[in-house]
Amino acid sequence: MDFNLLLDRLFLGLSNGSTYALIALALVMIFKATTLINFAQGEFAMIGAFFVFVLSVEQGLPVWIAVFLGMVISALAAAGIERTLIRPFDPSDHLPLVIITLGLFLAINALAAMIWGFNTRAFPALFPSGNALTIGTATLSWYTVGVVFVTFATAGALTLLLNRTKIGLAFRAVSSNLESSELVGVRVGPTLQFGWAIAAAVGTLGASVYVANPILSLEPSVMIRVLIFAVSAAALGGLDSVWGAIAGGIAIGMVQSIVVPYAKIPNELALGAAVVVLMLVLLFKPSGLFGTPQVERV
Amino acid sequence: MASSPTFKLQRGSTGYLVYKWGGIALGAVALALVAFAFNDTGRIEVFDNDYTISLGRITKAVSFVVAILGLQVVAGFTGQLSLGQGFFFGLGAYVSAILVADYNWSYFSTLIVVVPVCFLVGMAFGIPALRIKGLYLALVTLGLAALFPTLVSLSLVADYTNAASGKSVTSKFVAPDWLPLDGIAAVLQGIPLIGDWFGDGDLSTSEASKIWLFILMVILTSICFKVVSNMVTSRPGRALRAIRDNETSAAVSGMNLALYKTLSFGVASALGGVGGMIYVAETGIASPNDFTQLLSILFIVGLVVGGVGTLSGAVIGGLVIVFVPDWASSTQSLPGIPERWLQGPTGNLILGVLLIVLTFVLPGGIVSGIRKLRAKIVVVMPRPPGRFDAGPGKDVSAPITADAESEALAAAETASAGSAEMSKTRTTE
Repeated sequence: MDFNLLLDRLFLGLSNGSTYALIALALVMIFKATTLINFAQGEFAMIGAFFVFVLSVEQGLPVWIAVFLGMVISALAAAGIERTLIRPFDPSDHLPLVIITLGLFLAINALAAMIWGFNTRAFPALFPSGNALTIGTATLSWYTVGVVFVTFATAGALTLLLNRTKIGLAFRAVSSNLESSELVGVRVGPTLQFGWAIAAAVGTLGASVYVANPILSLEPSVMIRVLIFAVSAAALGGLDSVWGAIAGGIAIGMVQSIVVPYAKIPNELALGAAVVVLMLVLLFKPSGLFGTPQVERV
Repeated sequence: MASSPTFKLQRGSTGYLVYKWGGIALGAVALALVAFAFNDTGRIEVFDNDYTISLGRITKAVSFVVAILGLQVVAGFTGQLSLGQGFFFGLGAYVSAILVADYNWSYFSTLIVVVPVCFLVGMAFGIPALRIKGLYLALVTLGLAALFPTLVSLSLVADYTNAASGKSVTSKFVAPDWLPLDGIAAVLQGIPLIGDWFGDGDLSTSEASKIWLFILMVILTSICFKVVSNMVTSRPGRALRAIRDNETSAAVSGMNLALYKTLSFGVASALGGVGGMIYVAETGIASPNDFTQLLSILFIVGLVVGGVGTLSGAVIGGLVIVFVPDWASSTQSLPGIPERWLQGPTGNLILGVLLIVLTFVLPGGIVSGIRKLRAKIVVVMPRPPGRFDAGPGKDVSAPITADAESEALAAAETASAGSAEMSKTRTTE
């Protein structure tokens, strides 16, 4: 086994895995509170990245300020969507909610394609170019370092937000028991809205760092495949665990870049590997590595 | 209090039979008219945008109808949200295309392979569904659907599937000589006022072939509908609905959850495969990009727009998901709407918005809306219990209220000797 090649693939897995982790984090924020999977999460993130693109490239703002503004805009938009389309429904009845998110998936995807077209666009660089570290022939680019840093910083910030603030406490109360938290006076609606807003902001950040990869570019369908990887990552980590999403994301990234080539699986089947992981996790350990097992009462 | 319907029909009465078979006959005539009318001249002009409803597109809609019918079984009746119907649709399309193109099978004989293969693969994916509940199943099946284009493009199977360029089939349907299609066309063309809709003169070979394909596929689809409707109104169907409504209590009542869930997955997948076969028979090509996860999501749109858990909803759903994107892409200008909003995937935007709006205003889909309207005109009532004599020939038009029932019983007692005997046995019980 070529050690340099292994290192290269390890670094690749880290950068891919971190972006999956960010989208998985967004899924987790919504799942935690309502056990709902937002199938439109990838599209939320994609359109968020387009906001960032417009702000930085067309409006000329510095790229990180554009990212921040893009996160704020998508958080506000998601809060609005939660208020108008999600909250009218009973949170425990999933079917209408899933159908709404599928409708959003179709609508947002189509809307982005209608506004920006299917042409690919180069996304502004978020991290310095070049390599941070060279070991033998293996190189660790600043992009990978940056993505991993952003991912861990986001997870850390989310942990602080959930554990150290009042709204975070309310959010944890709602995700632990919706009815009881309502009884003790938590305003459930705005709390869930907060979850949707945070999820959209994290998703926008995730999509931005994903398409900032020099070998990728921004186009309306860029997040469709990523969503599957992220779902797999979130399930592996346990759908309601913040750090589980990070672990799951990086694990899926490693599966894609290390297990798939060494097992001589054709590279296109990396998505298949993610689906298999998802299926195995749900079959044998539905609560994932770090999730809370669901106990059903009859 | 809702306004009372104009007609009240009792199940089994002559009026009901006329209503039922008259409806079926009208439907058949309408289908025949559609077949001949839209063969080459189905042009609709909406604000200067020509839009041709061709028979080919209707046949394509028929293929989607069958797939959505399958989704009705697994999602509508069993309550298992599957986002993977596109996978089985594609599987059926590819198996059928390969058998027809490479092994010279006829389309219908490929069903011998397509149905069992899709059924078994569906069952195999139904097994994880036993442990994976609700949204988890949606996740796995979405992954499956996303995987399909990659799977058929793999170099491993490229010899069979032609990878990215898709498997094309040249075999065409040839209308049999005994079928007087030209004669029917001539008769329809002779109808005053609307005769022009049916074109001029004899049908060309390709037109005849299209009509024949349409007729065959509609018959096949009707068979699928009959099979599913028998299934859902009999013991397995009741079991499926019990599972949908409350899994735990269904299990407690002695339903074999594992059996019924995998069975419903299998049936749904087999129907997906049949739909795929119809699709290939119409389009003549199975290519990877036709069967992405978008297709699976469109099937869900069709399911919801038509009406979850209603068989007729599948028909409306199939038509909607074919014609809305189609019409939207051929419409390039509308007064009052900037042109940029009419370019690109406007159809998907409309479908997405429609999905959201319907979930709010009409959760039962278009079918439930139609049923509400129909209930203002016609109401079909079940036979009252114990009234064995109310067979064909006796039109009972009173609603089943306590008063009306006693009246009817009194009337029955003074009726023929046979029925008097009947009511006597009833009272002695």
